[in-house]
Amino acid sequence: MRILDVIDVGFNYGETLQVIDTASFYCNTREFVSIIGPSGCGKSTLLRIIAGLVEPAHGKILFTGKRVTRPTEGISFVFQDFALMPWLTNLENVKLGLAMKRMPEKEKEKISLELLESFGLSDFEDAYPNMLSGGMKQRVGIARAIASKPKLLLMDEPFSALDELTAEALRKEVVDLLKSKKSPIDSVVMVTHNVEEAVELSDRVVVLSDKPSMVKDIVKIELKRPRDRESKQFMEISDKIYAYLKE
Amino acid sequence: MVGIAGLLAQLIIDTSFSWIRMLVALFLSIIASIAIGILAARSRFAGRIIIPVLDVFQTLPILAFFPFVIYIVVATLPGYIGINAAVIFLIVTSMIWNIAFGVYESITTLPAEFIEAARIYGMSRLARLRKIFIPACMPRVAEQSVLSWAIGLFYLVTSEIFSTGNANYAVKYGIGVEITKLAFSGNLLYYLIGILVFIGFVVATRFLLFVPFEHYSTRYTEGKKKARRWTISLQLAKQASHEKTYHVHAAKLHMFTQHAYRERPAKRVQPTSKKRMSRFYAYMYAAVALIIIIALLVYNYRFLVGYESETAVALAVSFVRVWGAFAAILIVAVPVSVYLVFMAKRTSRYILLFQVIASIPATILLPIIALSLSGYPGHGEITAFLIFFLSGLWYVIFGIISNSKTISASILDVKKVFGVKGTLAWRKLYIGAIMPGLITGAVTAIAGEWNASIVAEYFTTTGISGSNVVSSVGIGIGKLLDLSLANGNIVLLITALINLTAMILIINTFVWKRLYRKVERTSV
Repeated sequence: MRILDVIDVGFNYGETLQVIDTASFYCNTREFVSIIGPSGCGKSTLLRIIAGLVEPAHGKILFTGKRVTRPTEGISFVFQDFALMPWLTNLENVKLGLAMKRMPEKEKEKISLELLESFGLSDFEDAYPNMLSGGMKQRVGIARAIASKPKLLLMDEPFSALDELTAEALRKEVVDLLKSKKSPIDSVVMVTHNVEEAVELSDRVVVLSDKPSMVKDIVKIELKRPRDRESKQFMEISDKIYAYLKE
Repeated sequence: MVGIAGLLAQLIIDTSFSWIRMLVALFLSIIASIAIGILAARSRFAGRIIIPVLDVFQTLPILAFFPFVIYIVVATLPGYIGINAAVIFLIVTSMIWNIAFGVYESITTLPAEFIEAARIYGMSRLARLRKIFIPACMPRVAEQSVLSWAIGLFYLVTSEIFSTGNANYAVKYGIGVEITKLAFSGNLLYYLIGILVFIGFVVATRFLLFVPFEHYSTRYTEGKKKARRWTISLQLAKQASHEKTYHVHAAKLHMFTQHAYRERPAKRVQPTSKKRMSRFYAYMYAAVALIIIIALLVYNYRFLVGYESETAVALAVSFVRVWGAFAAILIVAVPVSVYLVFMAKRTSRYILLFQVIASIPATILLPIIALSLSGYPGHGEITAFLIFFLSGLWYVIFGIISNSKTISASILDVKKVFGVKGTLAWRKLYIGAIMPGLITGAVTAIAGEWNASIVAEYFTTTGISGSNVVSSVGIGIGKLLDLSLANGNIVLLITALINLTAMILIINTFVWKRLYRKVERTSV
C-alpha cells in the first residue's frame, strides 16, 4: 500500500535561490527509503516539506492519499540534533511525543516507560538529557518519535551527530526494531549523507543531484538482511551511488 | 511661538549639560574599565579580587548609595562642583561594570599565540598594551558602551530628579531638573516636548556617537559571541536592548537551509579546576563580606537598636513593594516575551519600538505620574508601584529576548511535529526555554527597582519650588535614605545602606545564583 507520495516538489530559498528543482518519489508500506545527496542540496528541507514543517514552492505531498500541508498525526520526526528539551526529564521528553493522543496521563507514562526500557534506558527516565551520551540522547529522540505509533517515521541524519561506533550500534538497534514483525512503524524515510548507511538500511535510495536538485536515480536494494558491508554486492551498490554523487 | 522656541533652546541647553555629565562619565568609565579589565585578565592575583567584586557590584542598586555619596562629596567639594562630581561619580559606577567585564572577556579569550608572538618579537609592556591588548578589547568596549550609556541615562535622570529635593545640592541645569520644572508648570505639552527632546538626544547619540564608534572598533573583526557565565549572561540581559539580531528568528528564517541546522550553539564547557578555584575565591570573599556585615549589624544592635529596627521595618515594607511590582512585571513580561520569541512574525519591528521606549528612563515619567495622581487616596503607593513596575519591566523582557539566541529553533519543530498545544506547550516548552533569560532579566529588573526607590518612594522638589513633598509612601527604605540625608543623619543613612546591601547580596547568592545554576545544569 502507498504511504507517501512526493509529487513534483520544488523549493526556493528567498526570491532567487533555487534549492530543489523538482523531486518525486514514493514510499510504500513496510518500506525504508533513504534520500541521499551532496550537502546543501536540500535533502533536509525536502524531509521538512514531507513533515509539513516547510511549505514547498510547488508540488504536493500525499500521506496515505491525503494532502499534507501541516504536521499531521501519523507522521513523526527524528531530529539530527535530537531536539530534546533540556529542562524536561527523559520520560517527559518521550511523553511529548504523545501530546496529540487523547489518553490518560498514566497510560502515556506507561507507554513512554516501556519504550525507554526497550532502548535500555530504564534507569535514566528521571535524568535530564544533558546527562546522557549522544547515542542515548538519540535513543530518547527515537522513543519520542515512535511513541505515538506513527505510520511514517521521518529521520533527518539521525546518526550523523554520533561517533561511528555508537552510530553503528544504534543503526542495528533501529533496523531490528523497525523490521521486526511487531514494529509499530509502517514506513521510514531517512535523510543521510552517508552512502554505506543508506545501502545498509534502505529498500530504496533516492539520489539527489546538487542544487537546484533533481532526482538522479532511485536505487533499489534487495540484499538480504542483516547486510554485510564487506560483501561484493554491497560494494557494487555503494560504488554506483558514489559515482552518482561525484558527477 | 516664541515660547516654544525659547523652551526648545532651554531644553537643548539643559540636555546638553546632562550629556556633558554622561560623556565625562563614559570617558572615565572606559579608561578605568580598560585598566581594571586588563589587570584582572593578565594578573591572576588581581583577577581573583576584581572579578568577584565586579560580580557583586553590578547587581547592587548603586543609586541607593547616591544620598551617601552626596553627603560625602558635597561636604568636601563646594556646592555646584560637588553635586556634579557626585552625579558623574554615580554614573561612572553604573557604567563601569559592563565595560570592565567586556575588556576582561576580550583579553582572556585572546589566543595565546598573540602573546607568544609579542614575546618572540620582544615587545615592551607598553607596546603590548598599545598594539595588542587595547585594540583587542575595543570591539567589546564599544559594544558595552552602548549598554552602559542606556543604564547611565537612568542614573543620570534619576539623580538629577533626586537633586531637585534640596537647594544645597541641586544640579541646576539638566534634563531631569528641567522635566521636573515643566511638570510643575502644569503644561503637559511642554512636558511632552521635553521628553521628545530627550528621545531626540538619545537617538542622535546612538547614530552619531555609537554607530561610528562600533564601526571603528570592529573594523577588523567579525562579531563573535562568547560562552556564557552567570556574570556574562547578566551582561547579555542588560545588553538585550541593543542586540541587532535575534537568533531564534534568524534561525526560523534559516531553517529552510540545511546549513542552519549544522550550526548548533557551542556546548558549554564543564567547569575546569581553574573555574572552581575562582568560584572558591568568590565564596571566600562573600564569606568575608558577610562577616563584616554581621559584625556591623551586631554593632548596630548593641548601640543603635532604634535605627536598626526602623531600617528593618522600612526594608521589609519596600521589599513587599518591590517584589509586588516584580510580580506584576512577570504577569506582563512573560506572555509578551513568549509571544515575541516564539510567535511574532515581525519581531524586529517590535524590537525597534521597544528599544525607543526602553531608552526612556522610567523615572523621567515620575514628575508627571506623581503630579497627576496627587490628591487621590494612596497616590504615594500607586506612584511608587508604577515607577517600580516601569523601572524593571524592560529588563525582564529584554533578558528573555536576548537569551532566545540560545534557544534552539527545533523547539518549534518539536511543537509542531508532535502537536504540543495550549497549556502543555507553555508548561513543557516555553517556560523552560525562557527560564535562563528570565532569571538574568529578573536580577537586573529588581536591581533597577531598588535603584528607583530613592525617588519613587519619596519625591520632593524643595530645591526648585520651595517646600514641597510631591509624593511619598508611608514607610520605605528609599524614603528612609532620602530623609536621613535631608536630616544629616549619617549613621541612619549608613545603617540603611548596609541593610539594603546585605539583603540584596543574600538574595542574589541564595535565590538567583542557585536558581541559575539549577537551570544551567539542565540545559544543553
